[in-house]
Amino acid sequence: MRGNLVVGAVLVGLTVLAALVSFVWTPHDPTLVDAAHRLAPPGGDYLLGTDKFGRDTLSQLMVGARTTLYVGIVAVGIAALVGTPLGMVAGMTPHGWLSELIMRVNDLVFAFPALLLAVMLGAVYGAGTLTAMIAIGIATVPAFARIARAATMQVMVTDYILAARAAGRRRTAIAVRHVLPNIGSMLIVQASVSFAIAILAEAALSFLGFGTRPPTPSWGRMLQEAQELLFSTPRLALWPGLAIALAVLGFNLLGDGLRDHLDPKLRRIRAER
Amino acid sequence: MIWYLVRRAAVLLASTAAAGVVVFAFMALLPGDPAEVALGVNATPEALEALRRQFGTDRPALAQFLDWVGGLVTGDFGTSYVTSSPIGPQIAERFGVTLTLVLGGMAIALVVAVPAGTFAAVHHRNPLGALISAFSQVGIAVPAFLAGILLVFVFAVQAQALPSGGYVPFAEDPSLWLRSLLLPWLSLGLVQGAVLTRYVRSAVLDVMREDYLRTARAKGRGRMGALWRHGLRNAAIPVVTVLGLQLATLLIGAVVVERVFVIPGLGDLLLNGVAQRDLLLVQGVVMMLVVAVLLVNFVVDLAYAVLDPRLR
Amino acid sequence: MRRIGIWAALGALLLSAACGGGGADSAADRSGGATGSQPSTLAVGFVAEPANLDFTATEGAAIPQALLVNVYEGLVKLDQDGKIQPLLAEKWDVSADRKTYTFTLRKGVTFTNGAPFTADDVVFSIDRVKSDWKLKIKTQMDVVDKVEKKDDSTAVVTLKRPSNGWLYSMATRLGAMFSRTGVADLANKPVGTGPYQLGSWKRGDSIHLDANAKYWGAQPQVSRITLKYFKDATAMNNALLTGGIDVISAVQAPESLAQFADPNRFQVVEGTTNGEVVLSMNNARPPFNDKKVRQAVRHAIDHKALLDTAWAGRGQLIGGMVPPTDPWYEDRTGDYPYDVAKAKALLGGKTYNVKLRIPNLPYAVATAQVVKSQLAQVGITAEIDPLEFPARWLDVVFKQGDYDMSIINHVEPRDMGIFADKSYYFHYDNPAYGELLASADQGSEQQQVDDLRAAAKLLSDDAAADWLFLFPNLIVAKKSVATGLPKNAIAESFDFTALTKQ
Repeated sequence: MRGNLVVGAVLVGLTVLAALVSFVWTPHDPTLVDAAHRLAPPGGDYLLGTDKFGRDTLSQLMVGARTTLYVGIVAVGIAALVGTPLGMVAGMTPHGWLSELIMRVNDLVFAFPALLLAVMLGAVYGAGTLTAMIAIGIATVPAFARIARAATMQVMVTDYILAARAAGRRRTAIAVRHVLPNIGSMLIVQASVSFAIAILAEAALSFLGFGTRPPTPSWGRMLQEAQELLFSTPRLALWPGLAIALAVLGFNLLGDGLRDHLDPKLRRIRAER
Repeated sequence: MIWYLVRRAAVLLASTAAAGVVVFAFMALLPGDPAEVALGVNATPEALEALRRQFGTDRPALAQFLDWVGGLVTGDFGTSYVTSSPIGPQIAERFGVTLTLVLGGMAIALVVAVPAGTFAAVHHRNPLGALISAFSQVGIAVPAFLAGILLVFVFAVQAQALPSGGYVPFAEDPSLWLRSLLLPWLSLGLVQGAVLTRYVRSAVLDVMREDYLRTARAKGRGRMGALWRHGLRNAAIPVVTVLGLQLATLLIGAVVVERVFVIPGLGDLLLNGVAQRDLLLVQGVVMMLVVAVLLVNFVVDLAYAVLDPRLR
Repeated sequence: MRRIGIWAALGALLLSAACGGGGADSAADRSGGATGSQPSTLAVGFVAEPANLDFTATEGAAIPQALLVNVYEGLVKLDQDGKIQPLLAEKWDVSADRKTYTFTLRKGVTFTNGAPFTADDVVFSIDRVKSDWKLKIKTQMDVVDKVEKKDDSTAVVTLKRPSNGWLYSMATRLGAMFSRTGVADLANKPVGTGPYQLGSWKRGDSIHLDANAKYWGAQPQVSRITLKYFKDATAMNNALLTGGIDVISAVQAPESLAQFADPNRFQVVEGTTNGEVVLSMNNARPPFNDKKVRQAVRHAIDHKALLDTAWAGRGQLIGGMVPPTDPWYEDRTGDYPYDVAKAKALLGGKTYNVKLRIPNLPYAVATAQVVKSQLAQVGITAEIDPLEFPARWLDVVFKQGDYDMSIINHVEPRDMGIFADKSYYFHYDNPAYGELLASADQGSEQQQVDDLRAAAKLLSDDAAADWLFLFPNLIVAKKSVATGLPKNAIAESFDFTALTKQ
């Protein structure tokens, strides 16, 4: 379905655009406390209104988009850089002891809850965006390792790899020249899906108080702060909630669309194993 | 099959042992002295000393580790630093609560996802199927705690139909138990159901393209009949995998839902334990969670082997 | 004057510590006239669950809040106005040199384990503070020279020197009376003389207190109190809205009060506490070892705007370390009015980068964002670093003193003494201040008031810290909770004995 790709790309594009623009311009200073304009209604000077500190919601959303992307990039980056090579090694020697070891350790890491990692890292190094991202990243490694392994195993039995192996090519050369390009599209799809999961994880951690530090705007923390005003000023929860949902939707749709677009055959390999 | 079972069991044991070491090492990294947290920083040095001796935290790490492992093997989780009561029963009780929450959420997810996913797959070329797919996409994008907050707002605060939170044990009052769990189950189940719907749909779609299904249909079976007789078993393999993965996610997702609905589950115990530096308790809870996830993986692997003999 | 008591910091976690206080003035007023009627129950929401029930060995306000006055009683207790009233002592005489206190004990009092309460228990309990208590606050009892039993219903306490603060301490947990045969398992089985006894405890959820049928005074009207614990302010609000609880003991999200605006369903009680929300500055290291920089900070903060935005305008601006319920209170908000130009002048055009290391508690996170924004206007860039409370905050800020600024609610009653100890994390060092406090503790009542006023002024003039606001006592209850909700929360306990329900 081409629609997925388009809608996904538009939603992700909007997020990226908001983040980029926020570097050079926001309607107001997103962290400026202004008692005179607290809880200003939408419209006029404040397009989406202000929160209880008198901070402009739109400006916060724009800078919050930056936090969201930062979250996704760091977490997915860690997961992809660590998980992919491990998965490829395991996939190229599917019945060796190394493969077995990698996958068992992988299972073990998978068994450790991301939340626990975040709480522990927060206790050791102080809670913050970076510690939360590292925790989410580590917890996402197994997903990448599994997908890389499964994809590698499929690629390894194709004719051209068999030919390359018969020609006596070294394994590392095969891995870099032949395997990686062929599993790349799978990894991009996985990255897109993991990105969405990372956004949700950051929101949950912020809700529990282990996420982005104040006053840096973050959609998760905006949502958490809006809770006490849910009755009187529900729009404060509406905007960040909508932003999270749309960004997650965007990345998921983008992932689906890419999957369909890049290689219809890949639909047959399921993301889970 | 037996050989396969033995090998998997050995891996499970080795992983558990490795997990024990990792968990203990992890706790050793945690800054903050349990005795200090219990007494406050202006506690007298003698009192701190005495309390450390009482906790046993003044001994070498190896001795503490061996003690802990020795206890675990005999089912003894030790005594909490903070509550001075045995940890095992506490974990057992909380684990029961969280498991109830997770399994209920999972049941709702399955009840939603299997028909919805199958329907969406069978009707993947018409608008109704697309609508279900769209719904599941939106469902995935909503954070579970937001779903929880909204459910409370609508059903508890506005409609006053269900309690906003709290947990009543089944033994105390079955009907209150059910009422107290309905909203938490829904908020876990709907979001997970949305995720699962996608996987069911794609699994069923895959199966529908298989030759044996075409053959079955060619032999005159209806589409649904053919799916029922031949397809579900095959579609179940990926779904079971995802279920296993989700069960693990749910154990963690439950922490947030426990917070929203004030349910005294394992997540609550864990966060409290970390805050109070009740290290033995935290170790116990984490070990329990890790082993639970490893066990789920083990069962999933076995389920594979049963569903698809080629994998043995 | 009390000595340095550090559980103030811990208490701040349990904001509701700021909540409590004596309801009725004497046992006679307490009856509510419900003896013999069918049992009534009441559920009260709190923010932090006690880790165990032993307040002789565990810090934190949650335990005395639940148990003091309700389960454990002292010889004396504090009333709503901060005055000391008799409880297990019918009366007491003070010798002319103000060093000997003779307590006449109430007769016919028994502990919940069946043992009678006598002067032996008084000797046991006060001696036990020195011998067995594990908390630093026990030093408040160092002034006691000896405790003796004269007869079964008379106990005599001799002090080493006159002390205005000692009897006040006896109204806190330090004065709780324990049974000689009831201290085996304090963590789980409290034994006291109070109107309630521990019914059951569902860890992670709630504590039940049941009326003590053998109580010496009038039975409380509510026969079963449930203390329900919430970690999340919204969850607690929802519980009250849906009938899960009857009372919110301390509102954690003041903006949410709008939900309880319907006077036919809810009532809101608002008063004061002993909690000064202090913006502390590390006097021991640059830039805040420079008095001018500290003064600049005090001028740079718009306290009214801060209270309005961060805490919905609930609370009181005090400008000093004394809550309004203490006899020596004076409004010190005029000392450093909001004046950006003056603050800039004091800084002399310099800019600073400082670490604002706060506990990860709702009020601290909210106020820190306002402080940061306001300090930025005068050229001080504060980086907010929320630390896990209590463990990390206590370690980094409190113990190691590795911070420039912090924000914490110091909830301990009469806690001016914490500034007199230069090793305390403020590292404020002015010997004249300590001398004023010492003289206040030993002097006459009038001298005490004069000295403490002078001390409070000195502290403010030196800008030892900034006082953001006085934490409010905010209670929301169902309309049906007729009486007994304390307006001011100035004692360590939440007194359930005066609560009545329609």
